[in-house]
Amino acid sequence: MQNSINIKIGGPAGQGVKSIGLILDKMFMRSGYKVFGYTEYPSLIRGGHNTYQAYAGSESAFAQKRRLDMLIALDQGTIAAHQDELDDKTLVIFNQDTLKVAKTRGVLLPFPINDLIKKADGLPVMANIIALGAVCFLSGLEPEILANLVKETFGAKGNEMVKKNTACVKAGYNFAREKLAQYAIKLDPPAKKEKQILVTGNEALALGAVSAGLKFYSAYPMTPATSILHSLVHWAKKYSLVVKQTEDEISAINMALGASYAGARAMTATSGGGFALMTEAVGMAGIMELPLVIVESMRSGPSTGMPTWHSQADLRQVLHASQGDFPRAVLAPGDMQECFDLAREAFYLAEKYQLPVIILSDKYLSESMQSVPAPAASWQNKRYGFANADFNKAAGKNNEQPFKRYALSSGGISQRSVPGQSGGAYLSNSYEHDEFGYATEEAEMAVAMNDKRSAKFIELAKEVGQSRPRIFGGQSADVSFISWGSNKCPVLAALDLLKEKNISANFMHVNYIWPFPKEAVSQFIKNSKRIINVECNASGQFAGLVRQETGLKIKENLLKYDGRPFYAEDILTYVQH
Amino acid sequence: MYNTKIKPTFCPGCGNYGIKQALQSALEQLDLKPHQAVITYDVGCNSNMADFIYAYGFHGLHGRSVPSAAGIKLANHKLPVIAIIGDGAFYSEGGTHFLNLMRANHDVTVIVHNNHRFSLTAGQYTSTTEEETITVTSPAGVIEEPVNPIAVSLVNHATFVARGFAGDVKHLTDLIISGVKHKGFSLIDVLQPCVIWNKEQSYEWYKKNIYYLKKADSKRQRALKDALNEKKLAVGVFYQENKPAYHEEFPALIKKPLVYQDIRKIDIREVMKEFG
Ligand SMILES: Cc1ncc(C[n+]2csc(CCOP(=O)(O)OP(=O)(O)O)c2C)c(N)n1
Ligand code: SF4
Ligand SMILES: [Mg+2]
Repeated sequence: MQNSINIKIGGPAGQGVKSIGLILDKMFMRSGYKVFGYTEYPSLIRGGHNTYQAYAGSESAFAQKRRLDMLIALDQGTIAAHQDELDDKTLVIFNQDTLKVAKTRGVLLPFPINDLIKKADGLPVMANIIALGAVCFLSGLEPEILANLVKETFGAKGNEMVKKNTACVKAGYNFAREKLAQYAIKLDPPAKKEKQILVTGNEALALGAVSAGLKFYSAYPMTPATSILHSLVHWAKKYSLVVKQTEDEISAINMALGASYAGARAMTATSGGGFALMTEAVGMAGIMELPLVIVESMRSGPSTGMPTWHSQADLRQVLHASQGDFPRAVLAPGDMQECFDLAREAFYLAEKYQLPVIILSDKYLSESMQSVPAPAASWQNKRYGFANADFNKAAGKNNEQPFKRYALSSGGISQRSVPGQSGGAYLSNSYEHDEFGYATEEAEMAVAMNDKRSAKFIELAKEVGQSRPRIFGGQSADVSFISWGSNKCPVLAALDLLKEKNISANFMHVNYIWPFPKEAVSQFIKNSKRIINVECNASGQFAGLVRQETGLKIKENLLKYDGRPFYAEDILTYVQH
Repeated sequence: MYNTKIKPTFCPGCGNYGIKQALQSALEQLDLKPHQAVITYDVGCNSNMADFIYAYGFHGLHGRSVPSAAGIKLANHKLPVIAIIGDGAFYSEGGTHFLNLMRANHDVTVIVHNNHRFSLTAGQYTSTTEEETITVTSPAGVIEEPVNPIAVSLVNHATFVARGFAGDVKHLTDLIISGVKHKGFSLIDVLQPCVIWNKEQSYEWYKKNIYYLKKADSKRQRALKDALNEKKLAVGVFYQENKPAYHEEFPALIKKPLVYQDIRKIDIREVMKEFG
């Protein structure tokens, strides 16, 4: 018996690698398993080598693993490309009619695809569906679940196509049952059945944003942030959102800030290059004290870099972007659940403290799939900081005096009016300004306004700064990891591997990056016997931040910057040296 | 009613005074109270006006304020939105916004103070400065040809294209009123004397070199003739067309403005079905 299964599909772009992967993931999820799906593809529309990895666990699915239980090769190159991930037991499934397999690790399972398709009255493109049927049997799952998924997936193509595809599922399933039963993998049944949904990090984020009352979204396409735009545009009608594709990222953020000024909850998203273009306006959100949620999903840089590959090298960019001093918050979700939760949190913090909140995601989160417990159907949102929360109905005669939008007070947070509200007219100003918003160059006012904004940061730090980082694996251990953002996935998976090897390990995951949780991080490092910082960049940006904020230098840095996320096995190997 | 307590700081004789006056009388004639309109400002001499006009204002980034204006309009389309901006900002720094926001027909009235100079930064040539003009950064004369914003707007789907003159406040007031009333993007390029950095194009020079258009054309081709007139500058409305404004095409905005839509309780059951 084993408690997880790890399957990779490889083939050329345009052959449906991703769509089969998705069906596989859903098949396991609907069978009650936790699942994780990871995809790799070059920045091309056709051709190139694409892979999808489906990992399912009876108890958990933190991340895909390196060692494969099955490899489904849709082309010749796939088998050669992934030799490192195979061992003696890996089942290598391939079409014997089109592929010649010379030497490989693992157990070769040639499929007479042409024959099976013919018998099922299928079409040549359905080779993949046959493979799915076989995987279903070899993993010990119920074929009805797969048949239903196939029906949902191809339903739009008409009854005839559904019939053919369903017949191919059966053909693959029966072939495996009759000829390959000895290879079937004995997978533990799911530990706990609960209602789950399968989402990418971007989908979770978009869903969280909608639940938090997002009303205005403007963006310019850039991998790996683009699919947020796709999701939101798709939901715009249902949720009454304005979703605007703009002429560039500069327009996207300046437009979103206009909407925020008018009173709408607004968001924009991009990757590192687009964020660089937005930089000037991030500071404008700071000085105008406008709430804004900005998603920066990192990919390999610098410059255009490797557009479809993973990286965490923009931490310093988002921390320091824009001239001048102003408060901001930076949140870095660790998995799909956190993408949803922190999107909600970002809207709350942005509105309460009237500042830009940056959600720092990355290619690994944005485009991977993970099952999460189905979120509640209904979400409540409070509004913060409006001079008259019911500004819609604000009555009364117009005041001849401008509104003190930037009134100086302790705590720094001042009330906002919104355009249209009588008695509320003021100037929202990118220049340093007085309490009404009018430009000032007075020394005293400049200091007062800087202090006002800084005071908000102090309040913000009080609220979020101290207790947030979670520690996994107990308070003390022989090996301690500290990391941030999406590394939560592979590090949690690594904790399981270390446990199997009887190595005691724990892990602090930092997801509220700024304000920085000084005390908690300091304590954790001081309590550790061996501390290892794990991150996906070449310079150890987070380690630098830790040192800057706590004065503590982390000696061991496990860094990766080849465009791929960590595998749990990498971390285990490192610990064992 | 629309004055703040701050005294305008434009140089004596600056064309910006005339534009300010025209804007304020347009607001008055349109019967808009200070809380009933939003004016966005850019960065430049022109946009220092932000401190002098009492109304809801948004003093944005150099070249980027018109996207903000479009965002304000989309978030609360019941409010008239007027954008004050300079030639340097709209035709140079923010050129891509100029091209793209106009063809989207965002319902924003853009008043461009066109003094053919970056005046606030001390007189460099802009993208509308005539070829061969000597300025601080073109001691031997400007080499490139100027942008013709009126002609560009005419061929780029703008639905209201006008030119005004800061020295004719009455005429400019009427242009602004028509622009605000126009449903969709209105460009009002205003010939604005800068008495410091552009001494050639003075009030007198303009008076000699402009002629008035009788009425808005409904054919872009015909309007282009006046736009391309190299001897004299036409002022008035070149072209106007009735077309739905950008916000009118958004299903989300049919019932009420975005900002007045209740977000206190949101049900995501429907979309979650996609992920089951
Ligand atoms: C991003 C950026 N670049 C440059 C500047 C400096 N700057 C301020 S105003 C200005 C020129 C303004 O020219 P224009 O828009 O024509 O306005 P005018 O001063 O002529 O009214 C420049 C270049 C700036 N504020 N921001
Ligand atoms: S420099 Fe020119 S544009 Fe600026 S205020 Fe003076 S006259 Fe007006
Ligand atoms: Mg100018």
